[in-house]
Amino acid sequence: MATAVVARPVARPQPRARDEEVLVWPDLVFIEFIAAMVFTIAIFALSFLVNAPLLDQANSDVTPNPSKAPWYLLNLQELLLHMNGAMAGVIIPTIWLGIMAAFPYFDRDPEGQGVWFGTERSIKMTAVSAAVGVVGTWFLILWDSGRMAQIIKMWTGISGGDRFRFLENVRAIQTQLPWPDWAHHITYLPFNLKILDEGPGAGPTTFQHLDFVAWLVEQGIPIVAMVGLATTLIYVLWRIGWVVTRRDALIVLFSGFVGAYGVLTLSGTAFRGQGQLLQWPWDVKVSEGIPGQE
Amino acid sequence: MAVEQPAKPTFADRLYDRMFHNYVWKSIFRTGYPNTPRNQMLVIATNVFLHLHPTRLHRTHVKVTHTYCLGGLSFFMFLGLTVTGILLMFYYVPSVDRAYLDIQNIQTTVQFGQLMRNMHRWMAHAMVILVFLHMMRVFYTGAYKPPREFNWVVGVILLVLTFLLSFTGYLLPWDQLAFWAITVGTNIAGSAPVLGPKTRFWLLGGFEVGQNSLIRFYTLHVIGLPLIAAIFMAVHFWRIRRDGGLARPL
Repeated sequence: MATAVVARPVARPQPRARDEEVLVWPDLVFIEFIAAMVFTIAIFALSFLVNAPLLDQANSDVTPNPSKAPWYLLNLQELLLHMNGAMAGVIIPTIWLGIMAAFPYFDRDPEGQGVWFGTERSIKMTAVSAAVGVVGTWFLILWDSGRMAQIIKMWTGISGGDRFRFLENVRAIQTQLPWPDWAHHITYLPFNLKILDEGPGAGPTTFQHLDFVAWLVEQGIPIVAMVGLATTLIYVLWRIGWVVTRRDALIVLFSGFVGAYGVLTLSGTAFRGQGQLLQWPWDVKVSEGIPGQE
Repeated sequence: MAVEQPAKPTFADRLYDRMFHNYVWKSIFRTGYPNTPRNQMLVIATNVFLHLHPTRLHRTHVKVTHTYCLGGLSFFMFLGLTVTGILLMFYYVPSVDRAYLDIQNIQTTVQFGQLMRNMHRWMAHAMVILVFLHMMRVFYTGAYKPPREFNWVVGVILLVLTFLLSFTGYLLPWDQLAFWAITVGTNIAGSAPVLGPKTRFWLLGGFEVGQNSLIRFYTLHVIGLPLIAAIFMAVHFWRIRRDGGLARPL
């Protein structure tokens, strides 16, 4: 009979690390309160000191030069200067957002969460990738805006002539590479396929002619630059043994993106003057677009 | 042997007693300051505003350098933008004839109008920056990993919604900055293959920025997008709790 009351082993719940826990009141809510107060005061102070901009009333007849989108879209506006519009403005950002959203489905290892830079060498990888993103993007911008050619000429005195036109900008390649005339007559399904189109300039889908060189400078080279740079970076860091896990690959990709994104935003915001020419920020002057006052 | 007498209550004591130990106050705040662990947990669990939080959390998560409060501050900016936005709505009419004059009016004749507009503007910029930094924080702490995969996706959606909220607000002052920024911005959207021109037309309600665009952007800015963002935020916060709070090393 006595056996009936012998305690059976009970599956115990995993012990919670109660010693490591603190109470939300007061330990968290006070920090939140202080953070909110600091920001409230900072925003108040900023708003007392700096007024929100208000220019002249909107006028569709008067176009300021340069006309710019809100600053957080100027990275796209900067990209637009270098490649096919649909690609820069819509396709690349959409694909990138998709890639970012897919991060957790690519890196499914729960290991290394909840701590800053959880893997070995991740700080080094972050720094290197961000630096490559920054330097690489500036290099591409300088090349495509003709500054690289200027710098080469300044330093070496070589002007290059027609054969080196490609150093001036990417689109110059279009005039340099031979492309048979007959190929221009082949039509293909265009990239800027327009259905549901209406309004001025609309019509049936405009078929484009096969022009490999145009495709190369507008889409090919930019794609190679972006995908190639990222892939090469991950590959190299993998070969030297830094990138080990998928998490590492993502750190490289994301840090490179942050670097490039920062440069594009900065360049589009501060370094683009009239006619979207690359200038020093202190040389940038905005023309109001009023005739006689440019 | 003299027995120690209790000190006579001071004026401050009596004032405190009057203010906080009365029938009305206690009907609102049922307990006094929660000074026992039990009451501190109860106040979190039973208060409608605070019960978003768990009652306790791991000590590493209250270190400011773990999160820099970025997610919470993004939400705080959203709340501040709602408050200042409502105040601005009192004076603003989304019509091409009035919008610009209304903004001028807000700045010059409305009490604290300039301040409200400034705060709305700077908080909007701050929110874009904070949301982006929050994304970076979550990435570099590996907080998107299982089981929080989908909450990261919700976060990406909220990032886009933040951009859209800011973008739709940009047109409303109806000055040259607004007009041409939206012209450039919607031209970018219009360059999309297949659906681009139609998307641009839907956004603007026409072929160029005008009255139709203003009313569309206004409606999206003050009700459409905030509602959608609020729904996604609710899901975002709810899932943080469901997934066991902030990510922690296994």
